[in-house]
Amino acid sequence: MWSTTIWRKTWGDQALLGLAFAVLWAAFPWLYIGLSAQIEMNAFQDVLLRAIPEDWQKMSGVPFSEVATHVGRVALAFVDPVVVLTATVWGVTRGSDAVSGQLERGTLEMILAQPIRRRTLYSTQALATICGGLCLCTILYASVFTAIQFGPWAGKVDPIRFLPPALNVFGLMVCMSGLAAGVSACDSYRWRTIGILCAFYITSLLTKLVGRLSEALSWTGYLSVFNAYEPQRLVGGEWSDWQLLLQYNGILCGIGITSYVIGGYIFSKRDLPAPL
Amino acid sequence: MIVSTENLSKSYGSLCALKDCNVAVGSGEIFGLLGPNGAGKTTLLRTLLGFIKPTSGRAFVAGLDCHLESVQVRQNTSYLPGEARLFRRMKGHSVLEFFARLRGDCNRTKCFEIAERLQLDCRRQVSRMSTGMRQKLALSMVLAIDCPLVILDEPTANLDPSARAEVLDLVLEARSSGRTVIFSSHVLSEIESTCDRVVIMRHGQIAHEQSIATLRKCHRIYAQLNGPRCQIPANLSDTICVVKESASEIVLESTDSLTLVLDWLSNLQLSELKIEPVGLSAVYDHFHREDNRHGTNTSLFHSASSPQQGS
Repeated sequence: MWSTTIWRKTWGDQALLGLAFAVLWAAFPWLYIGLSAQIEMNAFQDVLLRAIPEDWQKMSGVPFSEVATHVGRVALAFVDPVVVLTATVWGVTRGSDAVSGQLERGTLEMILAQPIRRRTLYSTQALATICGGLCLCTILYASVFTAIQFGPWAGKVDPIRFLPPALNVFGLMVCMSGLAAGVSACDSYRWRTIGILCAFYITSLLTKLVGRLSEALSWTGYLSVFNAYEPQRLVGGEWSDWQLLLQYNGILCGIGITSYVIGGYIFSKRDLPAPL
Repeated sequence: MIVSTENLSKSYGSLCALKDCNVAVGSGEIFGLLGPNGAGKTTLLRTLLGFIKPTSGRAFVAGLDCHLESVQVRQNTSYLPGEARLFRRMKGHSVLEFFARLRGDCNRTKCFEIAERLQLDCRRQVSRMSTGMRQKLALSMVLAIDCPLVILDEPTANLDPSARAEVLDLVLEARSSGRTVIFSSHVLSEIESTCDRVVIMRHGQIAHEQSIATLRKCHRIYAQLNGPRCQIPANLSDTICVVKESASEIVLESTDSLTLVLDWLSNLQLSELKIEPVGLSAVYDHFHREDNRHGTNTSLFHSASSPQQGS
């Protein structure tokens, strides 16, 4: 179930993308907090609580009164497209490379011509992807921590509160990479795998929005994986936040790991087409 | 037998890629696989490696079931795919190091020795290598693996003439060291010069099996007759057959030494005589040329049963 050589190679493959995302996530909290601090809290509260219709609160997932605090404003960084898209892109690109990516490039044949089990190849790559995601989340949290401790809001916010949101981002990465690897294991074209995952992402996003906005269709929200990605609700600094995180990450990691396992089973049984 | 298949078949829906394929390859021989594109050669090789699950039948390598024990089979096998695609971002030497680490029986020093023999610059990045250079890189790895069976799917495709000759030498060296080589190619001259035995595949089936040693004894004799029609003597009836006959011309095929045949021919009244070896090309054409379907009376010297055996 483990190959050190494949482990090293997978880290080599994901190094460039990982490095780019690491730089992005190291810089983003500093930029975000620095720019946010330029808008005074009173002005921000005025805009949020008076200018935006109350109905729109449904979209944020938490009351605007909670958003209009230092903690709430930092928490919004975790639902910023920079974080959500980066986490999704990491999961989809690394997951889709597991089988269909290598099949499309034709390199899978040379590896599997060696005495290595398909399960070993697949699980080692999956572990490297998940560990890569964990490293990125650590960098993201470390950057949030330092940006709070040494930035303009030093002393106004407890950085420990942002550990559950960072772990929720990790859950999203596991979910997306697992789904991508599962689809990749059944497919022979990486572009199609990525296309399927993009469709899934957009559908998930839309069903969550529809579920939020329409009471009659509120059930659609439960069809979305983003229902379990709500880092802005995990910054209360209470035990219940950790319990909620456990639920969220239980769902996200559960979907991801189940998809990994199903993908691994399919990959170990399927015919491998000749390089395309 | 190091490789054997029992009624091996593989279908993709209505398409039958491999049908009741029975092949036996002995230890230490170079076994050629011939056939046009889509004949089933690569499907057969990929089934041996466990990449493809057979629809029916079984395949064995070194007594191991290719589907159920594919990891052990691959431990005994070194495989060069038809189109070797390697990791584009790695340098040549890193690719060789990677495969040497991945399997313990890949001799790192030998890898680089073969690369040098093939005049390959391993410092270059794979993405900057030509197709032929990538083929050489893959060959350096595949031929350095110390295992009993080497499977080469079109190993000389994309190579320059000197590299081709070097690869054929390496194949012969592999046999000298006791290894078995399965060699698929479209270049008939290469197969004829290196292989001990060859099978010709057609529509997923073994159409013909031919020993190269036997083939080398086979000759086609064209004679213009001056006198009466000739009668083949009884002592030659097993080794000579008439391919074509008219009042003034006869075409014969001999499957054994020419000594007795020449004795007989010297007693006939002939105005012209031409003797030429029956090359693999003629055998291949017999089974694959559209205007020369097997089973017609233009047969070389074999009956039209399928699969035919030219042992």
